[in-house]
Amino acid sequence: MAAAVELRGVVRRFRRGVLALAGVDLAVGAGEFVALLGPSGCGKTTVLRLLAGLDSADAGTVRVGEAATAPVLSYVFQDATLMPWARVFDNVWLPLRIGGVSRAAAEEKIAPVLQAVGLAEFAQALPHELSGGMKMRASIARALVTQPDVLLLDEPFAALDEITRQRLNRDLLELWQRQRFTCVFVTHSVFEAAFLAQRLLVMSARPGRVIAELPVAAPQPRSGAWRTDARYLEICRAASAALESGLAEPAA
Amino acid sequence: MSISYRRRALLAAATVAAPAVWAQGKGTAERAVFATNWKAQAAHGGFYQALIDGTYRKMGLEVEIRPGGPQVNNRPLLPAGRIDFLMTGNLLHSFDNVKQGVPVVAVAAMFQKDPQALLAHPGQGFEDFARLKDAPVALIAKDGQFTWWQWLKVRHGFRDEALKPYNYNLGPFLANKRAIQQGYSVAEPIYVKKQGGFDPVVHLLADHGFSTYSTLIETRRDTIEKRSAYVQRFVDASIIGWYAFLYGDRRPANAAMLKENPEMSLEELEASVALIKAQGIVDSGEAIEGGIGAMSDARIRDFHNNMVRAGLYKPGEVDLARVAELRFVNRRVGVELKSKR
Amino acid sequence: MTSPRRVAETEGTALRWLLPTLVLLGTIAAWELLVRLRGIPHYILPAPSLVLATLAANFGSLAQAWWFTIKITFGALLLAAAGGVLLAGVFALSRTVELALVPYAVVLQVTPIVAIAPLILIYVDSTTAALLICAWIVAFFPILSNTVIGLRAADPNLRDLFRLYRATPWQRLRWLLAPSALPYFVAGLKVSGGLALIGAVVAEFAAGAAGRETGLASRILEASFRTDMPRMYAALLLVAATGVAIYLLFNLLARLLLGRWHATERD
Repeated sequence: MAAAVELRGVVRRFRRGVLALAGVDLAVGAGEFVALLGPSGCGKTTVLRLLAGLDSADAGTVRVGEAATAPVLSYVFQDATLMPWARVFDNVWLPLRIGGVSRAAAEEKIAPVLQAVGLAEFAQALPHELSGGMKMRASIARALVTQPDVLLLDEPFAALDEITRQRLNRDLLELWQRQRFTCVFVTHSVFEAAFLAQRLLVMSARPGRVIAELPVAAPQPRSGAWRTDARYLEICRAASAALESGLAEPAA
Repeated sequence: MSISYRRRALLAAATVAAPAVWAQGKGTAERAVFATNWKAQAAHGGFYQALIDGTYRKMGLEVEIRPGGPQVNNRPLLPAGRIDFLMTGNLLHSFDNVKQGVPVVAVAAMFQKDPQALLAHPGQGFEDFARLKDAPVALIAKDGQFTWWQWLKVRHGFRDEALKPYNYNLGPFLANKRAIQQGYSVAEPIYVKKQGGFDPVVHLLADHGFSTYSTLIETRRDTIEKRSAYVQRFVDASIIGWYAFLYGDRRPANAAMLKENPEMSLEELEASVALIKAQGIVDSGEAIEGGIGAMSDARIRDFHNNMVRAGLYKPGEVDLARVAELRFVNRRVGVELKSKR
Repeated sequence: MTSPRRVAETEGTALRWLLPTLVLLGTIAAWELLVRLRGIPHYILPAPSLVLATLAANFGSLAQAWWFTIKITFGALLLAAAGGVLLAGVFALSRTVELALVPYAVVLQVTPIVAIAPLILIYVDSTTAALLICAWIVAFFPILSNTVIGLRAADPNLRDLFRLYRATPWQRLRWLLAPSALPYFVAGLKVSGGLALIGAVVAEFAAGAAGRETGLASRILEASFRTDMPRMYAALLLVAATGVAIYLLFNLLARLLLGRWHATERD
């Protein structure tokens, strides 16, 4: 069951007093696909880590789902972060294995998810035998195998070439269409954000705040045609402008 | 120095002057490197005496004494040609050399008795030699482990179970009343008394059938063949040195040894000399007639037979004729230096 | 029809074994020739033929000593591996403990075993135990330091992932830390293998033999004291052979454990 996530007035300070987040407010509805856009060092990763529970805020509230239900979270790193000594199958099995599911029982959950990311024939491959794009697919498969309520992605396709990136963008959207998890997708690419998301949230430079919110009125599913649509380009232009103004903001 | 001694010394020097004059006539002294088997101690006294009081020099020899030590094995240096003369502790080394075909030979035996001994704590029943084999711990150094310990096992029933390595540290022996350890009868008892405060029980192996000569001078066969006068001069000077050390003024030798071995003390040196004399290590048996350094075929054969019976060698393995050259000793050199005190 | 890749692989393997073997045989032949042509006596430098003949003639007693040295070496190695891994685990868990104990570990490593061996023999009753301890001291540190680094080298993102999925510390150890540390541990093991042998031999040299069981160092000493050079060389040959065998063994082990996935062993 998808869950809504929310940050209210979140402040995060690091060692040496560096202010990473200066009062961030954002809300994502259940099942919504939102892109978090911002320049390098603006704290996008910190926001994601706060949502994932890997970090805690110094002030403000972080809410993930309802208090009663414990929403299932998954995280996809910028680097595929596979265990190099384990085969793809075992890498994808990891979250289930930690939860106590045996290999045999996990088989019926892993096979479909590998199929969905297009790695069905590579279940027994070792990470070093895969290309960058395939490693990222495996990482996504691992993220999806637990059927998460919330999927957090931290610039997952940044290290890949344009063609692979666009293909993965499309495949991610397809997966989201089917499973409808709440998705927070961090990127610094305006074009990627505008292609994928239903809403763009633009952050300022450090210390980070959400300075702009741009809805994307294109219906899902989106095809390659959307990339050449005039409205797409307009959103990209507006997002770029917001980013620019965010860069000009003086540090608080 | 007493006047009578000085005259006797001059006399002795004159007796062997011929080769010395010949050497001096040549102008240059001949080099001789002599490696010993331990750090400088009283058991080496005669050699240091000859070095310091000029006896070697008068013989036309420029001698360098190279001490041995706990981790040092000078033995391979002789056949390799790096040294000219070597001090060895007993005839077993000579037998091994002959057995292995190594062309070195003994030319003099400074000690008529081997001071190799076993020490024990008093009041433990070890006053009786036969009880030593029952000691739970026998501290024997590497050298002994492969030579006379083997003889003790066969001849006197000692067992390897008791064997523990001795690293020239008295600690383990002092700490364990039931332990026995090896030592030189003229040295270790002095150190035990100093560090442990008691007089240990001392059993000389020589009194129980270990009838070898000791502190022998060895040299290469080709040195004897090509430079026999050189060998004779070294042997004679060493013998004179021993007489001077035992019966004359040994202060030069003492000073040299103290300098060479700073851990030694004068009182230890003198105590050791006293023991050497009292136990008849140097000047006894064949040396009384033939002079210090004396050797005889009969004694060598007798000792060899003992060792064959103890299983250390097979009969015929060692060609006894090649063990020692007797012509450099038994010439009563330096006997007149012995003043009756 | 073999593919070019298979052919290249076979050639590579053949070269890897053929070349060192040829060089070795060449060296032995040169040595033999040198001794024969120059007429070098056996008590200065024995010819390889004499050394091998001596080895064959005395194989019974040398083999016993060889077995003892091997036992000490691998016994010490096992203890060093166990101790190293355990202590590395403790260090990885607690920086405080690590800071407190690291000086001792370093001191242990740099103090020459030749000096320590006689001391250990004074304090420890059984000579075999003393030899084990000496060999252990030499072999311990590389395994410890490498494994500590290995345990800390786990990918921080993977660490976060394990946290996210709420893995227990035991699960983290088994599925993340241990595999991460394995390449480093194996590297340490390779170094320690040779060191354990050196430690066993040097300790016995410094300590001297004792008791009924003695190792190759004892034989070398004995041969040296009895001026039996061929036998000394024969014993040395066994020591060298053991060193080579250990090297090959751990290389094989590294290949087996890491060959599938780790950059150091993948060809």
